[in-house]
Amino acid sequence: MNMERIIFLLLFGSTAIWFAWRVFMTKSMIRSALSLLASMVAIGILFLVMQAEFLGVLHIMMMATEMTIMAIFMMMFMMDPGGMGDMDMSHQKKYSSVFAFLSGASYAAAILFTQWPITADAVPAPAQQNHDLGIELMQRSMMIFETAGVSILVAMIAATATALSFNSVNK
Amino acid sequence: MMTELIIVLVIAAVLFGIGVYGALSQTNLVMIMMGIELMLGAAMLNLVAFWFYLHPKTFSLQMFVLVVMTVMALEAVVGFGVATQRFRSKGSVEVEEAADLKE
Repeated sequence: MNMERIIFLLLFGSTAIWFAWRVFMTKSMIRSALSLLASMVAIGILFLVMQAEFLGVLHIMMMATEMTIMAIFMMMFMMDPGGMGDMDMSHQKKYSSVFAFLSGASYAAAILFTQWPITADAVPAPAQQNHDLGIELMQRSMMIFETAGVSILVAMIAATATALSFNSVNK
Repeated sequence: MMTELIIVLVIAAVLFGIGVYGALSQTNLVMIMMGIELMLGAAMLNLVAFWFYLHPKTFSLQMFVLVVMTVMALEAVVGFGVATQRFRSKGSVEVEEAADLKE
């Protein structure tokens, strides 16, 4: 057991949970976006604690961009993005809480009642990890990776077509 | 090692539960997307934990993390496309005002 790693896991895990909770507890949409960014950065740091350095840095960079875009869209679409009007934008809170608790609890129960076959293999060094991940992507999992690329292209076209105004389509 | 794995998985379980709460309780399309992002974040945390504690020599788990990141990007792209169209046509992205979609 590595005490140092446990401390970091608990510290950044609780940070991720705290900011994730703040996302839905604040009235300000901008604070929500920034809280989600903080939560995602804490998750990225957990990746770094688990020595997945490439994925951790990639996750932090990607989430920083995505949450910034999300904050911009919120300012565009919301009547009260700063939360100054104290608008409540939630519904069926009781039902949602019960369902969230049940799903989280059943997830936790599955974790606690499983016998995990821990292997004592040493984790490869970061450079070796990147090399092995590249080999994985370009050999055994190439089709899956290519499918992800094509999916991005399809989503870009679909989103642009969906977002076009009806007037510009009719012209 | 097993305690560490359980700690990470329980953190992911709590994040998943909060994501479920957000996706179900929010009336704004962008906030619902935030709940889904949290659930996907929890899934990624699981995958990295499984890689690190169970199969550090096998990289298909890291590859799946990249796939989940792609899914996050796709969800955001399509969600914002739908949100833009709803805002253009109805002036709102509230899901409680989207009952006309089933007509």
